[in-house]
Amino acid sequence: MSETDTVTDRPASAPKARARARLLQGGILLLLFALLPAVLVWFDRGYFYQLAMLALIFVLLAGSLHLVTGVAGLLHLGHAAFYGVGAYIAGLLAADHGIGFTIGLPLAGLGAAAIAFLVALPTMRLVSIYFAVATLAIGQMLFLVMQNWVAVTKGPNGVILFGGIDLFGLEIGSRLGIYYVVAVVVAVSIWVIHRLTDSYYGNALRSLREDDQCAGAMGLDTVRLKMEAFTIASFFAGIAGALWAYTTGYISPVDFDFFESILILAMVVVGGLGSLPGAILGALLLILLPEVLRDVGDVRNMLVGLVMFLSILFLPKGLFGEVPALALMRRHFDAAWPGAGERRVGWRG
Amino acid sequence: MTSVTGITRRTALGLALGTGLVIGGAAGAWAQEDPVVIGYQLPLTGNTAQYGQDFKTAAEIALEDFNASGRLPVPVEIIFEDSRSDAKEGVNIARKFVDNDDIVAVLGDFTSTVSMAAAQVYKQAGMPQLSQTASHPDYARISPYQFRNITTQAQEGEVNANWLWERGFRKVAVIAEQTDWGQAVVQGFTAPFEEMGGEIVYSEFFNRGLPDFRSIITKIQRAEPDAIYTGLFYEDGAQFLKQMEQLGADIPVHSTSAAYNQKLVELAGPAADDLYLTATFLPTSEGEHVQEFVAAWKAARDGQEPGQFPAQAYDAVNIMLDAVVRAWPDVTRESMREALAATEDFPGVTGVTSFDEDGEPEKQMTRARIVDGVFVEVQ
Amino acid sequence: MDPYYVQQLAIGLSLGMIYALMAIGFTLIFGVLNVVNFAHGEVYSIGAFAGLLLITAFGPPLLAVFLLVLAVGAATGFGLERLAFRPFRRFSDEASLKSRAMREATLMSSLALSIFTREAMELVFGSEFQTVPLDYLINEPIALGPVTIVTGDIIIFVAAAVMLGGLQYLLTRTATGRAIRAVSNNPLGAKYVGINTNRTIVLTFVIGSMMGALAGIMVGLYYGAIFPAMGFTPAVKAFVAMVMGGLSSIPGAVICALIIGVSESLATTFVSSVWADMVAYSFLLLTLVLFPQGLFGKGRDRV
Repeated sequence: MSETDTVTDRPASAPKARARARLLQGGILLLLFALLPAVLVWFDRGYFYQLAMLALIFVLLAGSLHLVTGVAGLLHLGHAAFYGVGAYIAGLLAADHGIGFTIGLPLAGLGAAAIAFLVALPTMRLVSIYFAVATLAIGQMLFLVMQNWVAVTKGPNGVILFGGIDLFGLEIGSRLGIYYVVAVVVAVSIWVIHRLTDSYYGNALRSLREDDQCAGAMGLDTVRLKMEAFTIASFFAGIAGALWAYTTGYISPVDFDFFESILILAMVVVGGLGSLPGAILGALLLILLPEVLRDVGDVRNMLVGLVMFLSILFLPKGLFGEVPALALMRRHFDAAWPGAGERRVGWRG
Repeated sequence: MTSVTGITRRTALGLALGTGLVIGGAAGAWAQEDPVVIGYQLPLTGNTAQYGQDFKTAAEIALEDFNASGRLPVPVEIIFEDSRSDAKEGVNIARKFVDNDDIVAVLGDFTSTVSMAAAQVYKQAGMPQLSQTASHPDYARISPYQFRNITTQAQEGEVNANWLWERGFRKVAVIAEQTDWGQAVVQGFTAPFEEMGGEIVYSEFFNRGLPDFRSIITKIQRAEPDAIYTGLFYEDGAQFLKQMEQLGADIPVHSTSAAYNQKLVELAGPAADDLYLTATFLPTSEGEHVQEFVAAWKAARDGQEPGQFPAQAYDAVNIMLDAVVRAWPDVTRESMREALAATEDFPGVTGVTSFDEDGEPEKQMTRARIVDGVFVEVQ
Repeated sequence: MDPYYVQQLAIGLSLGMIYALMAIGFTLIFGVLNVVNFAHGEVYSIGAFAGLLLITAFGPPLLAVFLLVLAVGAATGFGLERLAFRPFRRFSDEASLKSRAMREATLMSSLALSIFTREAMELVFGSEFQTVPLDYLINEPIALGPVTIVTGDIIIFVAAAVMLGGLQYLLTRTATGRAIRAVSNNPLGAKYVGINTNRTIVLTFVIGSMMGALAGIMVGLYYGAIFPAMGFTPAVKAFVAMVMGGLSSIPGAVICALIIGVSESLATTFVSSVWADMVAYSFLLLTLVLFPQGLFGKGRDRV
């Protein structure tokens, strides 16, 4: 019965929803590539450029973690380490071998993905809290390598990158140019993540989140799915790391410690687990809020904690929970379990 | 960009004077009171807030004295921004300072990491940056705009190597925190000491904020050195000394100026006695500057004595203010850089400071020792 | 045997006892709600600061300090549960109970609260080490043959043993303990058979936080290092020990805490201090991969 319901629902709502989605996408692109740059040029403040780029980098980080923690439902406590691996690959290539942005950026992503794949081989069979603590250990171990393997990573001295961003030999010097490079990389990455999650593949990952045993029983290779999600997420974290390295010009291990992992995780959860717009909004919130609150003085970080707490208290599913998934679930429960559908499942109180 | 600021400032002044003739002085007076603005980025919150808060107090003392002294017809203002010792925030602040056309020079940050990341911004923008603590070996070499008011370990390490050698120690164990500064401490000491013919029997790093040194101490005991040379800050230093005493390790300990703080004695109690260290600042020394600063600090901080770091910040601010005076009336970022670079024999509380061509300070070191909970100078 | 290695082993064990002290309360709370309580580290610091304030204000005997800290811990646990956990139990339908998002919400609410508390403490007390009156430190050396330990080692050992024994008694021999185990096993089922789940959860938080706060003041006096962020490292180690021990087993967590302490000290002995954590974490990964039930866990799915 529910099947027929959804089927009859479809024709009426699908085109409208699709049109709305397209409008949203167009709006975001317009904002990212026309409105925001226009504002930046209008104000011509390096501070705003910096904030925009930092926010974009963390949008990518939150978006990539979203794939593992939001969609596949695996608590990942070491994401910042892969961000660091990417940054270090980009940084060391630029500093020691003179390899620039064009080759360095993809290599940073691939390197982070390769390391993620290697550490994933033995650990991806773990579930729930065991998975979480394994990622914590992996993250800390990678951090220790960055901090203490002085011969290769230069240890706590960090890496200074000389030269800015070049595209196929073309030096990008202007602030606007660098902004566009970052914006394009982040937009393409987010689009890829969006396509990955908004597909049958994404649904397979979601099934891991909702009930991994059931997913396994239905013939999904859960270990392989997890490994793929983990590796892809690390690839994009590596890209974000490279962007941070190229735009800052100096990296050091403390930029990628456990607190950074927790920060990225907080972005994904505050924004609403399982929702990409939620993850993006979470990133914007936690990057921009401390800056907006600068004038408040020393209590600003207390206020950030308070805002986090209140937003979770009043919107327990995050700013943007996964509405479609919940609605779907409700519809199914509706048919199989009379009465359950009327009760709102915690969405906005 | 900097020259633009200069021109606007000058034209503004000219305009103001011109209109002043017509309107009658009011506008001129207004232009005269336009303060010189300096930015200060430092950790006021987070794990390293104690250092940033100390710097802020020291800077406020220096600034108040300066503005009261009337050495400039206009007041100087310092804008403090909190970086939490986080590179992300440090870079944001750097951009913000660069955007603010009124800011002619910047002080800070505390950690090398943040100072280095911010330095990349200041390098591009041509903003002079003077850090009171950034210890990274490459910091001052980033560009002509970077200066610092902390003795390099090449200098401090050599003084200590000589001192240990004079005291007859030939076999020395070295430990330091695993940071760029700790690395520099070990290199700065090891090279000259081995050149003299000394032997480093044990060398190890530890992660900053380690509460438990007992395993390391036991390891050091086994290596049987004549003395231990340590590169640690005063909080870690207090832990180390207490645990040395616990384990009955009776080996002379030497340290650097970073351990120099009254708080070390408070935290470690009698265990701190007989720590030998080098410093550039002693609150007990007779100099007039020093006593003024110590008195002002005690008034601001309930009778506490200032340590090495607040003194360095105090001097950094004063060096900056001195540069403002020399650059006056044409105070721009470029003229501030010139003025800072020209700093010579600046008489501060941490000794006499000159900058070499890289922007590195050259300082006189004092030898000190803790006797009955008090830092005393060793002749 | 070379006394040097015996001494290092003793140091490792004493380090392990410190982690164990933290792990007991942490495991108890995790066992009931199945969520990581990120604020446990802040309970630890609050305990230490409460004790320190009492010491500097009145200078009472050590035992009185510990008793007051227990009371403060109980109050903190009660408040923590009220603020960060209770609001998320208002949805009791099956979908919400199964929903990961709901569970992760409490994870985040405790994290947010811990950030808020730490920042507030840093604002009030500053981030630096507090000055602890030296005669309150529990670090008088005691020589046992070639090995040196301190008074604090004995106090912490006794405290951990009493906590562990008391908890085992409470959990296995009393009605309250049975209720706690029932809720931990199946909250909905426990509710259906008439257990007051809310009361049980509050009680668990109160007991767990009392232990966390006591651990805080003891370790604070042991090292003489009390500062707002002091709870972070022990909390991570306690978390690791709990998972290694198999989640449901408090004795297991204690033994794993000892293993972590000893492996850190031995890693410092044979390799280097900076790589000590590396050894501890590799150990953790190895256990996770090789012992699918945890070292001491019984029957919980992890692969």
